[in-house]
Amino acid sequence: MASEPALLELRGITKRFPGVLANDHIDLDLRKGEVHALLGENGAGKSTLMNVLYGLYHPDEGEILIKGQRVAFASSRDAIEHGIGMVHQHFMLIPVMTVAENIVLANEPTQAKVFFDRAAARQRVREIAEQFRFAIDPDARIENITVGQQQRVEILKALYRRAEILVLDEPTAVLTPQEATELFAILERLRSEGLSIIFISHKLHEVLEIADRITVLRRGKKVDTVPREGATEDGLARLMVGRDVLLQVAKSPARPGDVVLDVDDLHVVDDRGIEAVRGVGMEIRRGEIVGIAGVDGNGQTELIDALCGLVKPSGGSVRVGGLDITNAGPSEHLDEGLGHIPEDRQRRGLVLEFSLAENLALHDFDKEPVARFGWLRPSLMLERARRTLPAFDVRGGGPRTLAGALSGGNQQKVVLAREIERDPKVLIAAQPTRGLDVGAIEFVHRRLIEERDEGRAILLVSLELDEILSLSDRILVIYEGRIVGEYSPAVTEEELGVAMTGGGRNKAA
Amino acid sequence: MTDDELDPDLEDVVAEERVEELDSEPEARSGADYAPSVAERLAFYQRAGGIVTPILTALLAFFVGGLVVLATTGKNPLATYRAIFDGTGLNWLFPWVSGTERSLAALNLQQTLLIATPLILTGLAVAFAFRCGMFNIGGNGQYIVGAITAVWIGSSLNGLPGWLHILVAVVAAAVAGGMWAGIAGFLKASIGAHEVITTIMLNWIAVWVGSYLVGFGGPLQDKAQISAPVTKSVAPDAHLPVFWGSAVLQGLHVGFFIAIGALAVYWIMINRTTLGYEVRAVGFNPEAARYGGISVARNYFLAMAISGAFAGLAGSMDILGWQFHLDLTTVQISSIGFTGIAVALLGRNTAVGTFLAGILFAALLNGTSTRNLDPSVFKPELAGNLTRIIQGLVVLFVGADLLILYLWQWRRKLRLGRPRAVTGQ
Amino acid sequence: MSTAVERAPASALAGSEPVGIAGIGLGVLAFWLALPPVHSRTVALPAVVGAAAIACGAWAVAGGRRRLGWAAVAAGVIGIAGAVLATHASVSHLQAVITWSTILAATLVFATPLTYAAIGGMFSERSGVVNIGLEGMMLMGAFFGAYGADKTGSWVAGVLIGMASGAALALVHAFFAIHLRADQIVGGTAVNFLALGITGYLYVDIYGNNGTPDNLPAIPDVHLGWLGSIPPHSLGSFLDEVLGSQNLMVWLSFVLLVVAYIVMFRTPLGLHIRSVGEHPRAADTVGISVYGVRYASVVTSGALAALGGAYLSIGFVNSFTENMTAGRGFIALAALIFGKWRPFGAFAAALLFGFSSAFAPQLQNVDAWSTYGTLFEALPYVLTLIAVAGVIGRSIPPAAIGRPYQKQ
Repeated sequence: MASEPALLELRGITKRFPGVLANDHIDLDLRKGEVHALLGENGAGKSTLMNVLYGLYHPDEGEILIKGQRVAFASSRDAIEHGIGMVHQHFMLIPVMTVAENIVLANEPTQAKVFFDRAAARQRVREIAEQFRFAIDPDARIENITVGQQQRVEILKALYRRAEILVLDEPTAVLTPQEATELFAILERLRSEGLSIIFISHKLHEVLEIADRITVLRRGKKVDTVPREGATEDGLARLMVGRDVLLQVAKSPARPGDVVLDVDDLHVVDDRGIEAVRGVGMEIRRGEIVGIAGVDGNGQTELIDALCGLVKPSGGSVRVGGLDITNAGPSEHLDEGLGHIPEDRQRRGLVLEFSLAENLALHDFDKEPVARFGWLRPSLMLERARRTLPAFDVRGGGPRTLAGALSGGNQQKVVLAREIERDPKVLIAAQPTRGLDVGAIEFVHRRLIEERDEGRAILLVSLELDEILSLSDRILVIYEGRIVGEYSPAVTEEELGVAMTGGGRNKAA
Repeated sequence: MTDDELDPDLEDVVAEERVEELDSEPEARSGADYAPSVAERLAFYQRAGGIVTPILTALLAFFVGGLVVLATTGKNPLATYRAIFDGTGLNWLFPWVSGTERSLAALNLQQTLLIATPLILTGLAVAFAFRCGMFNIGGNGQYIVGAITAVWIGSSLNGLPGWLHILVAVVAAAVAGGMWAGIAGFLKASIGAHEVITTIMLNWIAVWVGSYLVGFGGPLQDKAQISAPVTKSVAPDAHLPVFWGSAVLQGLHVGFFIAIGALAVYWIMINRTTLGYEVRAVGFNPEAARYGGISVARNYFLAMAISGAFAGLAGSMDILGWQFHLDLTTVQISSIGFTGIAVALLGRNTAVGTFLAGILFAALLNGTSTRNLDPSVFKPELAGNLTRIIQGLVVLFVGADLLILYLWQWRRKLRLGRPRAVTGQ
Repeated sequence: MSTAVERAPASALAGSEPVGIAGIGLGVLAFWLALPPVHSRTVALPAVVGAAAIACGAWAVAGGRRRLGWAAVAAGVIGIAGAVLATHASVSHLQAVITWSTILAATLVFATPLTYAAIGGMFSERSGVVNIGLEGMMLMGAFFGAYGADKTGSWVAGVLIGMASGAALALVHAFFAIHLRADQIVGGTAVNFLALGITGYLYVDIYGNNGTPDNLPAIPDVHLGWLGSIPPHSLGSFLDEVLGSQNLMVWLSFVLLVVAYIVMFRTPLGLHIRSVGEHPRAADTVGISVYGVRYASVVTSGALAALGGAYLSIGFVNSFTENMTAGRGFIALAALIFGKWRPFGAFAAALLFGFSSAFAPQLQNVDAWSTYGTLFEALPYVLTLIAVAGVIGRSIPPAAIGRPYQKQ
């Protein structure tokens, strides 16, 4: 059996983008009926490699072999025809259409060769769902089903197209631990049915749980392929990062002072009219970092928006330094001593077409010194930027550089600079290191701890448990819009995981 | 598209976007699903080609227009353009033109600038909204509303001193235009109704309500001439003073300076006031502006209202400057506001650009008018439509920044062909 | 914009939706009762019916169908108000203005070009390409339809040439919108200017001051004389007056409507078009050619809009004049939005707008009312403005509309 040619083989795949070598001669082979994990940090080149495999990118060098045959994919249609199915991280589903319509799209059963045969589509979907024991309603609209169900639709979509190779791109990123466990059960079943699976992840424990073999990528290069047997988290982490990982950020114990952010029984209704925050209460003190852990979509965004005045709470109160700002607008919140590092710096944190100097003025463009009587004073704006940017180690441009021309890490430093420069009492950091490289992550983490030591209160909201565990002095767990527990940083990831799914139904792995 | 062949100054931006794209950054503004707003594209485009691209755009449009002339009439396009140019009066600027030719040129130039005045203003109406990320297609309706207001006030309130009468009429027209556009701004700010749809609708509502007002039996129709669908005339003391040429022969009125003043106000507002900062921030990235504490809704409304005020002002300039009354046909076929779109786009929403584009289109309109174009050279009716074709081509090409970028790259490739080939990209 | 999505609460009163719809119907009925041929001369009858409409509306509001309910309430109030006005007008005036058969026949005539263009617009916009160039595409169809009919001596060839010209203009729009990823609104505006210039230029160049010849081959009317013999006589003659001699293109528009509905909602092709308009990347990843679908849809929209234009020139007035579409493309766009990007919705809106165009000239029959005819022309636009403002159920466009797609 071992001599049988691999089901899929990638040889020397190279893909360049201007200024970046995204994939550098990567080799990979996939055997029939195995789960092969592709492990790497953000930016390691995993998604690029899979986009090459799926026909979305054309490799600059290298070749793809399926069952020993060389193939070239001009488009994803070719890849599909060769039995490759892909579950994208951001689902490729059309929200206003039904499950069945989404699954059969582009391969619709027809009546009289002209009409779309809805009944047959429904029937086919039911058959496949039964074959693989998926519970799904073919007539439900995508926008009305849960994220976990949507992911199953994506898998069904691949199975409907008779995929033999299933690629899952960070499939657990959007799932609760409970849903992730269910997904793993499904993957086991698919494997036993003879499918081969490529599982992309940057989470070590997942990879160790599900994969037969693990290929590690780092900065566009393949580092190694190892079997699961004998692999350890530490070993994999070292391969991934290229050195011993500092999972712990050096910091002294917190010395909490007075309460500066006091949230009482806060309720927030989201834009669909559903109550997303249901009675959150918390007190954040000067000189401490409080982490909010939780699976995405449990009310974090709405909580932050309400704290920052971006939406009006439907009930409860928010006080900063004793002052009630529950119903004030965003600019009053900012004026009263809230700093906010938004979760998406490019969309919410910066105006990419503005210069750095202008971006630094985003909150106080209408106040002294950068403005007076409604008039801007550009020279003072530039002067301030000249002082601030070096202090935050912003590289790659000066005050007149457009924000869009900076790298992600430097963009985040500009946001950090703006928020900290205003000397806020409370700093809210939402996903402050998402998509950053290791160096920038370290900078942001160090800076947050420094600010804590300066006596600021910091509320850290993150989906990365590592980040929460290593930075926080206290950890609050949010689940379905409520704070369901408070933990010290000594808590284990497992305990948090259980709390994040609404309390211990079973010990999540 | 082949990103690897972009200009070096664009490359940084593009490369950065690519880096972000490599490993799926959720929601990043880099993925291919992300479509930039009009304002963003314009900013991008502005950086890409400086002053070169609008000139290239205009030349390309004139070139294609020339081909049309050649293909359909067999006449020499250059001679045609020359005849049109002579009708614009722009030859007045040449010191060697003298004698009767010079005085004729002066008359023509007065007409060109007379037309340029409302074009510059409606151009600003489009440009200001653009800077706030909105496309104001409703300049025409706002212009009509301004004109109606001006003619109404100008032909009533007769006891006022002249300067006050003018002031009241002009301000009222601007306010009316602003309120008309403000409806679209309000609908966008409050419920997110797309301003393109609402301004199109408001255009036609203005046309038909205006037709009712000035038409037969309408409240503003001149009761003294019941057989003509036309309003009463503006009181003579409310006419804008003529400073160049004869007041009787439709000389150039001071409204031209008001348009120049509006350009200055526009530049200062956008670049030097906190209001302008807000408008630009909202135009580029409303989400970030909101996170920064700027009220996006307020800016949508204000920007639309200010835009409308410019267009309303344009309407009052025409009424108080040379038309002095408003008739049904003018209400129904006026397209000054639409030409303003081309003016703003070609002028790339800058003050100087809007001025130059305003003069260009005014010259085209005037040079092809029946009065100025020698029919033996080219039929004026044809030339008028040629103007529309050129106008359409300009807008088409301006909207396609990529086309210009392609041409730009093509030029670069010619220059740098070999080194590129060696790297084998 | 994700403003409040309409959701009926679980505790909705039974039947609040049909009751609400019935309420709107009653509101219209209240008005109608005061008009010919019923002529209720007292306000009482319409008032009772209108009150019933308001009651239905209140029921629907209480049942959670707020928008529908308020619409019914409004219909009731407007119905009563209209009836009051009508009962104060003299019967002779009303009879002069309201000749139902004339109005309905004209409604169909005015609705037809709108229907073609709106259905065309639906294809383009459902595939994700905004088409405010419909006006220009119609105008191309109007001119080249006439020109083609004149030169070939055949109205069929004229129609085909007209359609080809609209498709060609649409192709320009498509190229700029799809390949060059230009702003689609700017592109549509440009296309409108271009069409105005091109048709005006060629018209002057070819026909000069004489205009198009009087003997242009025209699209024939369909004479259905047997309609008149349907008993009872009053019904028969009514049907005959409304439908008896409509143009072929009017009937074809009904066929197109059904075909468009089937293509869009009952075939794989329609599924592809809609998927491209909602989530082009998703369509791309399963192998649908986003560019291909969009090109085809935009070109189809141009051909259909041009068909509407050709109807204007060689089906309706039998001549071409400069800018003869006079904003009908924009009304078609409004009908499309008003009808929520659905064929029958757009058709209903086109009928409504056609009605207002048909009604306006009727007002000329009474001197005292003649000035209000022009005001009536503004009605479609006012209604659409109200519709996009979300008062009558919000119009939600396809998710990816106006956004250029970039292949990876």
